[in-house]
Amino acid sequence: MLDQDGHRPNPDTILEKIRISENKKKGRLKIFLGYAAGVGKTYSMLDDAHEKMNSGIDVLVGYIEPHTRPETMQMMDGLSTLPPMEIKYKNLLLKEFDLDAALKRKPELILVDELAHSNAPDTRNKKRYQDIEELLNAGIDVYTTVNIQHIESLNDVVQKITKVAVRETIPDYIFDEADTVEIIDFSPDELIKRFEEGKIYRATRAETALRVFFSKENLRLLREIAMRKVADRISEDNRNEKKIQEKIISTKLLVCVNASVASDRSIRWTARTAEAFHAPWVAVYVDSKAKSDEKEIQVNLDLAKRLGAETVRLNGHDVADTIAEYAKISGITNLVIGKVRKKKTIKTLFEIDLEDKLLSLLPDIEVHIIPDIPQKMYHQKNRIRITGNLYFSWSDLLKTTGILILATFLSMGLQAADIGDQNIIMVYILSVLIIARITIGHLFGITASILSVLLFNFFFTVPYYTFNAIQPGYPITFLIMFLAAFITSTLTVRIKSQMRLSVEREHRTKILYEINKKFLVTRGLENIVALTNEYITNIYDRAVVFYTQDPGQESEGFFMGSATDLDIDLLKNDDERAVAHWVFQNKKRAGSGTDTLIGATGHYIPIISQAKVLGVIGVSCTKGKLDQNNRLFLRMLGSQVAMALERQYLSDDQRKILIETEKEKSRSNLLRAISHDLRTPLTGILGASSTILESGENLDKETHDHLILNIKEDSQWLIRMVENLLSVTRINEGTMTVTKTSEVAEEVVADTISHIRKRFPERKISVKIPNELLIVPMDGTLIEQVLLNLIENAFKHSTSDSSVEVSVRKENHYAAFEVIDEGEGINEEDFPYLFESYIPNGDRSSDSSRGMGIGLSICMSIIKAHKGKLGAANRKEGGAIFWFKLPLKG
Amino acid sequence: MKMNNEPLILIVEDDEAISSFTSAILASNNYKTVKTGKGKDAVSMAASYCPDLILLDLGLPDLDGIEVLKAVREWSNVPIVIVSARGHEREKVEALDLGADDYITKPFGTAELLARIRTEIRHSRRNQSRIGLAETKIIVNELEINYDKRRVRVRGQEIHLTPIEYKIVSLLSQYLGKVLTYEYIMKNIWGPYTNEIDSLRVNMANLRRKLEDNPAEPKYIITELGIGYRMSDAS
Repeated sequence: MLDQDGHRPNPDTILEKIRISENKKKGRLKIFLGYAAGVGKTYSMLDDAHEKMNSGIDVLVGYIEPHTRPETMQMMDGLSTLPPMEIKYKNLLLKEFDLDAALKRKPELILVDELAHSNAPDTRNKKRYQDIEELLNAGIDVYTTVNIQHIESLNDVVQKITKVAVRETIPDYIFDEADTVEIIDFSPDELIKRFEEGKIYRATRAETALRVFFSKENLRLLREIAMRKVADRISEDNRNEKKIQEKIISTKLLVCVNASVASDRSIRWTARTAEAFHAPWVAVYVDSKAKSDEKEIQVNLDLAKRLGAETVRLNGHDVADTIAEYAKISGITNLVIGKVRKKKTIKTLFEIDLEDKLLSLLPDIEVHIIPDIPQKMYHQKNRIRITGNLYFSWSDLLKTTGILILATFLSMGLQAADIGDQNIIMVYILSVLIIARITIGHLFGITASILSVLLFNFFFTVPYYTFNAIQPGYPITFLIMFLAAFITSTLTVRIKSQMRLSVEREHRTKILYEINKKFLVTRGLENIVALTNEYITNIYDRAVVFYTQDPGQESEGFFMGSATDLDIDLLKNDDERAVAHWVFQNKKRAGSGTDTLIGATGHYIPIISQAKVLGVIGVSCTKGKLDQNNRLFLRMLGSQVAMALERQYLSDDQRKILIETEKEKSRSNLLRAISHDLRTPLTGILGASSTILESGENLDKETHDHLILNIKEDSQWLIRMVENLLSVTRINEGTMTVTKTSEVAEEVVADTISHIRKRFPERKISVKIPNELLIVPMDGTLIEQVLLNLIENAFKHSTSDSSVEVSVRKENHYAAFEVIDEGEGINEEDFPYLFESYIPNGDRSSDSSRGMGIGLSICMSIIKAHKGKLGAANRKEGGAIFWFKLPLKG
Repeated sequence: MKMNNEPLILIVEDDEAISSFTSAILASNNYKTVKTGKGKDAVSMAASYCPDLILLDLGLPDLDGIEVLKAVREWSNVPIVIVSARGHEREKVEALDLGADDYITKPFGTAELLARIRTEIRHSRRNQSRIGLAETKIIVNELEINYDKRRVRVRGQEIHLTPIEYKIVSLLSQYLGKVLTYEYIMKNIWGPYTNEIDSLRVNMANLRRKLEDNPAEPKYIITELGIGYRMSDAS
């Protein structure tokens, strides 16, 4: 197909057009799927590549794992190979696929082994499948290999079968969206034989773990899973009947995600089920605690997203209520929850289980319960999570001790006043309440409840100053007191955390609202950028950069530092620009805290509107990575900025069109006026010269001289006209400005007068200049032109014996120039069109007076380009006054 | 026959019409002329004809006029008058700084052209004859500058000038009728590597007020906008 394209008349332009309009043609992906190592994926891939090469396609071997078997290596003969990139990492020399070289080389087809591979830490992308996505986006076809256990949604199933954890996984969409999947089948018996002959792995590899993996049982199961996966793909491809689809659409699954690491099992289960039903599914997390394990939740939600779920975060104190509400609204038919078998405790005794509550709230929905069994390797992490809510600080300890001592003294007072034990208990419970309120976390509340019981026991029960209690009722008193204190403390902590949460949320909403409001009234790209940068630095207290154009194309970003983060320079270096450039190209987040180019200083997000990147915002991460909340907020801010930018671009475009039409209009008007004006003197010259040539000898001397004088005058007029027109070209098109230099006003005037004197030696002219030296920034030639035009105009409209006065003076921040004549003055009806090149109603413009119309309109454009003012008025004593003012600064 | 006194002028101009009318004017004013439209020919003709003056158009088809100027200036001090369009001040200044003696702006009148040529030829003859003996004073119109006494008079009235002002006046008067660029004046008054353009302007403004009857229409020190100053030699 490409060959055919190549023979068309101008294929380059066509291809270029297609590339621009269709956002580049994507490459095709072919996956060679195996169920275990050694089935011959790489071999088949190379075999296929040879075939392609023989049919004339430009094939490049991008990367083949170096531990490949010798037979396979032989297959690489004759294929061009990209040398691997060598990366030094902790004294290790790692060989990696060289993505940039591949993109630069741009073959038609590239072979990259091991789709699920994780790249070395310093490379651009974390995972090889991201490299391959970039290749596809660049329009390169890709062949790759992968084993079934690396597919995300099957990961846990495979793990259960083989007991070997596979950490390198690829998202399902990569597999699902591949254009072709070829399964490489091989009998398990043969495979085991191969393995035992040492053909699959070299002897140096740890064999014990692999021996477990390569049992016949395992291989059979894996083979079945792989077959089924491919069969699913085929069946989905074939599924075109509408009936089934409609039925399927009615199914919608919801999986509850919690911070538990184990909930990945329920997520995977839901993903598989949803796929089987071809149903949409949602992963929901309910934010009910203040200090939840953001990281774990994000891991789980990310997993769900990778598996194709829509992820939702809800806020609400009661998890069951919130989920039920959401499920009702969004038409969920099946609900999946993970459950850990808990040991009964006093606390759980009083609680209704989540699933029970959900069942009662949602009688119509099927609820699936998936056992969440925490894996051993994560056990350590769980413990940290449990202690996550216990904070220790010296000031809190001091507060706790102080309050307890105070309570003890107060109780002693009460006892001395003989008020009674029950009040003392109340005092202690109150103190626990206060402690829970003013300290952070559960630690001090719980400690205080224990301590208060002990203190009560020590000081206020007989026998005093011992931990013994004689009266039989006391143990119960202690227990109740402890429980009361304990529950109060936990309640207080919970209320506090809820409060903080809602305050935080409200703050965020408020800021967003505020930004939105400001964006609505902000005009101009720079202002929008400045506003955004200001907000980001204020909120995060970090340096920020905003690119409105791809930094790969030599454009500068807008930088802003914060008071405490002075690392703007770090964001300005070439590496950071390259990251921003990548974001522009790939429309994805990158930099610190993402999966791509993680070594960067900044966290970069694209500002996308209608599939177009309008800008890139980068936030410095020298103070540590942005947490989930901040990233979320940044993204929300991003969408606001996108809207503001888009609005700006739209209005810019509109204005550009308006200016363009205006320019076009004035240009055609000018052209019309000029051609009209030029014709008259040219006709005169032509007539006079041909008369002389044809009948020169028959003319008397006087007529002859007169004709020649006419020619001279007409040419002089033409020269002045051309000079005027040329002067307009000195004004920069587009910006409509001039290049200014400092000139002395009186010198400009003097030069003009000397020119005028040469041209009109018989006219009277007087000049007034100020005593002080007036230096004005201007384009001297142009201002001289203005003065010439104005003086000439004055001569034209006054009798030859009257005089014209030219004066300059300083007027505040302006230099004011005036040309005053004693002539007939300006016609009232001419005022509106005085400085216009084209007069709408008819021919009065220039025929008679020979085009001072153009002269004055040129004066106007020159003065405007100087950011000055030009005007005219009639004098009381007769005659007209033309004036213009030039700013003394800038 | 050999030694006739008519000066020879080399006209370097690629436009046929302009070059023929220029040559006609000069011929009718007792000058001999040779013409060329090419820069390379101009350089070789300058060597073979040894003209008394070169009229050099800056826009030539084969070689930049500036290059011709540089080439000729390497070995010759022949007066060179630049012909250039209005608005090309930078070009003129460059040519003047590279050793051109004067310029004339297109389109020009006959009188103006003849005046320039007259001035330049007079200058070069005087410079040749004046070797060794310096003049003690110079009189332009009613302005008298006495170099020995460092005194300036207008209509017999002594004018008090500051040392810088005197330096400027005497510099301009030594090159009577020739335009001196800002650059050249500054280098001669304040020394090289300085930029005293503002001081120069202030001094000029003061000089105008001291020497001229009407500073707005100066008779003695003429401003060439964007290029420099010249002292008028009209007597």
